[in-house]
Amino acid sequence: MTAGTVPSAAYDDLPYTRGGAVDRADVGALVRSAVDGDAAAWKALVEGLSPLVWSVVRAHRLSDADGHEVYQTVWFRFAQHLGRIREPEKAGSWLASTARHESLKVLKSLRRLTVTSDPEVLDRISEDRTPEQSLLDSEEAAAESERIRRLWQEFEELGDRCRQLLRVLMASPPPSYQEVSAALGIAVGSIGPLRQRCLRRLRARLDARGAL
Amino acid sequence: MNDEVPLDDEEFDAGLLEEELRRAAVILDPLPAELRQIAVEAYALHDLDARIAELTFDSVVDAIPVRGAGDVPRMLTFRAGEVTVDVEVTAQGLMGQVLPPQPARIEVLSGPQSAAPLLADDMGRFTTDAPLSGPFALRLRTGGEVVVTEWLRA
Repeated sequence: MTAGTVPSAAYDDLPYTRGGAVDRADVGALVRSAVDGDAAAWKALVEGLSPLVWSVVRAHRLSDADGHEVYQTVWFRFAQHLGRIREPEKAGSWLASTARHESLKVLKSLRRLTVTSDPEVLDRISEDRTPEQSLLDSEEAAAESERIRRLWQEFEELGDRCRQLLRVLMASPPPSYQEVSAALGIAVGSIGPLRQRCLRRLRARLDARGAL
Repeated sequence: MNDEVPLDDEEFDAGLLEEELRRAAVILDPLPAELRQIAVEAYALHDLDARIAELTFDSVVDAIPVRGAGDVPRMLTFRAGEVTVDVEVTAQGLMGQVLPPQPARIEVLSGPQSAAPLLADDMGRFTTDAPLSGPFALRLRTGGEVVVTEWLRA
């Protein structure tokens, strides 16, 4: 995948790909170190893989409250199973798959219990502004901000399948296809073509709006 | 899309767009900092000595939905070797039984913090009036052994 290396002029000063990105090749070694009591290794795993877990939760459109609980459950269970994970180098897939199953379980229990409300109702983007959002509010960034918002809006209006796939793919650091497969229950081999198609569709929507 | 665009160009454009989305997600739908911190602190939950009781039955997944029944208790079964823990979660709290019947000290965990233990009687039965919310696990001490149920969302 080349996505991580594509150059771009905008937002070069935002550390969107940094923040303790774990080289996927190191995941197995970090898991083994964490098993041996190395808290720093655990922290590096969290830094590298928690955005993936978050992306999987968000891809399933859980409410904020449910999403937060699923996220915590996944990490608690990962800590609990730490010394027993059979293939430590696949910890990312383990986390993604657990997040998927717990998310689906929430959706299932919602369908069972709620008759009035639509379980697909999405908590809208929080009104609280992140530091990054505040930065975007400055005057010179207003145009960029608008562009990003329009991109996000078009993304949100894609069909479920594309929206889910892209939400997982856009985790940073970017997930491997094995992890995406575990996150969504789709075959590794179909991810590439599906990704192309979804991005093409998104591009067409943006072009139609004259955006980006 | 223009059919004459070579595949490499299309992949280049796809890569650019994916990268734009990645930046948008960091700004508009970021992982909350407190959740990252909770995951860091979860390291305290790793315990190589305890046996894990795996979830073998969950009424949310395994039972036929009851239509019209408002507040159906959630039934859970965990198993570690010969030890089984049956749990019933309601809006009022939790009750359960350790099988084969035996006394046990049980903590209801909700995170890395420790919890006040409750006791199971000689029949292995236990109950708590504190309603569960969020992730939970039960840590049982029985017959010199520690068993922890798989973390689950209440």
